[in-house]
Amino acid sequence: MHLAWGEEEERFRAELGAFLDAHAPAEAIGRGMEPETHGGIPLWAREWQATLFDHGWLIPSYPPELGGRNATDVQTLVYFEELAARGIPRALHFPGHAIVAPSLLEFGTDAQRELVPAAIRGDTVWCIGMSEPGAGSDLAAMRTRATLDGDHFVVNGQKVWTSYAMWSQMCMLYVRTGDTDSKARGISVLILDMTTPGIDIRPLRQSAGGTDFAEVFFTDVVVPKENLIGEMNDGWRVTMGSLAHERAGLWLEWTGALDHVFRRTVDEARRVGALEDEVVRYRLMALYEEVGGLRALGYKGFASYEKSGAAPEHALLKLATSELRKRIAQLTNEIAPSPENRREVLGTFAGTIGGGTSEIQRNAIARVLGLPRGY
Amino acid sequence: MDFTLSPDQELLRDTGRALVREHCPASLVRAYAEDPSVADDLTARLSEFAGLVAGPAVDLCLFLEEMGAALVPGPFVPTVAAFAPIVAAVGANDVFESVAAGEATGTVWSPSPVELHAPAGDRVEFVAIAVEGGDICVTDQFELAPLEVFDLSRPQFDAKVFDAKVFDAKVTGDSGTIGHGSYAALYRATVAFSAELIGTTRWMFETTLEYVKTREQFGRPIGSFQALQHRLADMSLLYERAWSSVYWAAMAIDADDDEQHRAVHVAKSSASEAARHIAGEAVQMHGGIGVTWDHDLHLYMRRAFMSEEVLGTTAWHRARLADLVLQEGGQHE
Ligand SMILES: Cc1cc2nc3c(=O)[nH]c(=O)nc-3n(C[C@H](O)[C@H](O)[C@H](O)COP(=O)(O)OP(=O)(O)OC[C@H]3O[C@@H](n4cnc5c(N)ncnc54)[C@H](O)[C@@H]3O)c2cc1C
Repeated sequence: MHLAWGEEEERFRAELGAFLDAHAPAEAIGRGMEPETHGGIPLWAREWQATLFDHGWLIPSYPPELGGRNATDVQTLVYFEELAARGIPRALHFPGHAIVAPSLLEFGTDAQRELVPAAIRGDTVWCIGMSEPGAGSDLAAMRTRATLDGDHFVVNGQKVWTSYAMWSQMCMLYVRTGDTDSKARGISVLILDMTTPGIDIRPLRQSAGGTDFAEVFFTDVVVPKENLIGEMNDGWRVTMGSLAHERAGLWLEWTGALDHVFRRTVDEARRVGALEDEVVRYRLMALYEEVGGLRALGYKGFASYEKSGAAPEHALLKLATSELRKRIAQLTNEIAPSPENRREVLGTFAGTIGGGTSEIQRNAIARVLGLPRGY
Repeated sequence: MDFTLSPDQELLRDTGRALVREHCPASLVRAYAEDPSVADDLTARLSEFAGLVAGPAVDLCLFLEEMGAALVPGPFVPTVAAFAPIVAAVGANDVFESVAAGEATGTVWSPSPVELHAPAGDRVEFVAIAVEGGDICVTDQFELAPLEVFDLSRPQFDAKVFDAKVFDAKVTGDSGTIGHGSYAALYRATVAFSAELIGTTRWMFETTLEYVKTREQFGRPIGSFQALQHRLADMSLLYERAWSSVYWAAMAIDADDDEQHRAVHVAKSSASEAARHIAGEAVQMHGGIGVTWDHDLHLYMRRAFMSEEVLGTTAWHRARLADLVLQEGGQHE
């Protein structure tokens, strides 16, 4: 156990630092890692994502043709450290590079894999169609149906809370292909071109004011058979895979975001002259301890991952960082009430509901703890 | 930051774990309250590991975590966790060397805000006493007054220097407490006690986890009830976060990194918070058996309470941390 990385890692950091100094746009520096886009993916963010890709700094562990430089795990960690320290996001929308790319690389055909570079670079914007009105936490209850008809599927049904749907060219769509009651055993995943006739996208305004997700209706939407990812009725495996990708690598972005918002909370407390208040100081420090502790926990998880390829700590981190994010925002507004800080609180629920609710995370942690299935 | 344990560190941890499993059953802890000499054999065995005082904080912590999980009574922990760094800081080199060789034991008495009440003072040869004016006096001539025993495995005492005939009296600093001018000793002691407390917490958590998997009500294990599962998930989070904070601080100390000034406060405060919360949940999830004298839980809970109070309360640590973190233009990480 030691605090600092070796010389080689520091060389890697310096190289990245030089790149960031030269190329990071002003809008990105200090912006923080949060994905919220509030009304579209700005041009600077698209260009930045492409620049990172072109220089092999978007997903360092990938080979150059996929926006990386074959970096080791430790180098990847250093990469995230440096971005987090500078508050620089890689991209403002993650489905393409964080979910679609790894899923296609693992389960896709050769033809499908050709979609990967553009998905990572952000040239094609992807959305993920999983949730439905009747299937949220219980994903296996989804009903959007795809019927195989010769060389194509015909899709009918509805998705909801589909982030970025209105700006997406492509969708990774989860559909029922088995019997109505086939649950997890009857789900398949399709690649859907969002310009296909029969798709109706209705943006949903969020409580915080932005419009980042939509409900999406499908009426006799035709999808070529070769757009099936993996095997027929085997989509659950792809689901689990894609969620795992999301959980495995992102913790430093989450803790980096916490650093950022905590700093802002302190600034807000200073602004309203509350920084000398003993109660405020006590409560701020309780949160500071959590932020630092979660970062340390992430590193502990990284060590288990390096050692065994599995990191039970990661299950804790999604829950902990999103819940803490919410409490930091609440405290900020309590100390320094303002329209912005109030809105900020509303926005934080995205983290504790999206990507599996906090309760579902606790259920998963209970499994990790070896507890029997719950009632 | 690399949390990977080296093979030597794993061996150290496993050795400590095996040693206390064999030589420190709960029955010994209970017997100690009546007659502290029952732990003499254990203390002798542990003295072979006294050399940890001269090594990295991380190693010391790994070993002490195991001591905490078994509620090891007697002078070993106070000696290596608190006494050793303080004699090192005041430059009482001969005493430090005999401690490191496992030949001498000692404890520490220090007033608020970084209180230590000569834990296991009745079983040691030396005491480091913070005397009037904040100087520290290392002596084998001292007088003890027992305090009311709450933690059965670790009685506490008021201690004062016996007479002018002080053995190897060493003084440091000119005012304040132990922390003054010798923060390194205080940091090491704080993180060492925090690591021990983490072990105590681990026992409470694991024991509870085991219990809810076996205890049945309504025809099923109580651990299948989601109301308990979610609380256990939160307990595991608190425990893991505290564990990580403690070792982070230990690494910062070993690297003599600036981060240590903040990390020790985070470590103590987080370890205390996890201990307090998990102790309460552990008792609740045990039901009636959890409030009996016969069940070992209360032994652990008592230790958890006392460890939270020593070397600075949570309020004190947070106040100090706030001074460091919130100063104008101060660093937040
Ligand atoms: C900002 C945001 C972005 C999103 N983006 C996408 C996206 O891009 N693509 C997509 O497919 N989906 C997306 N979602 C949907 C998200 O995955 C679902 O909202 C989430 O899985 C919860 O489903 P639900 O909304 O139907 O709530 P429900 O499942 O109905 O949950 C309601 C409440 O019941 C609790 N609950 C449910 N089941 C259990 C249980 N077994 N044990 C204990 N408590 C339970 C939940 O925790 C919650 O508190 C997004 C959601 C948000 C908020």
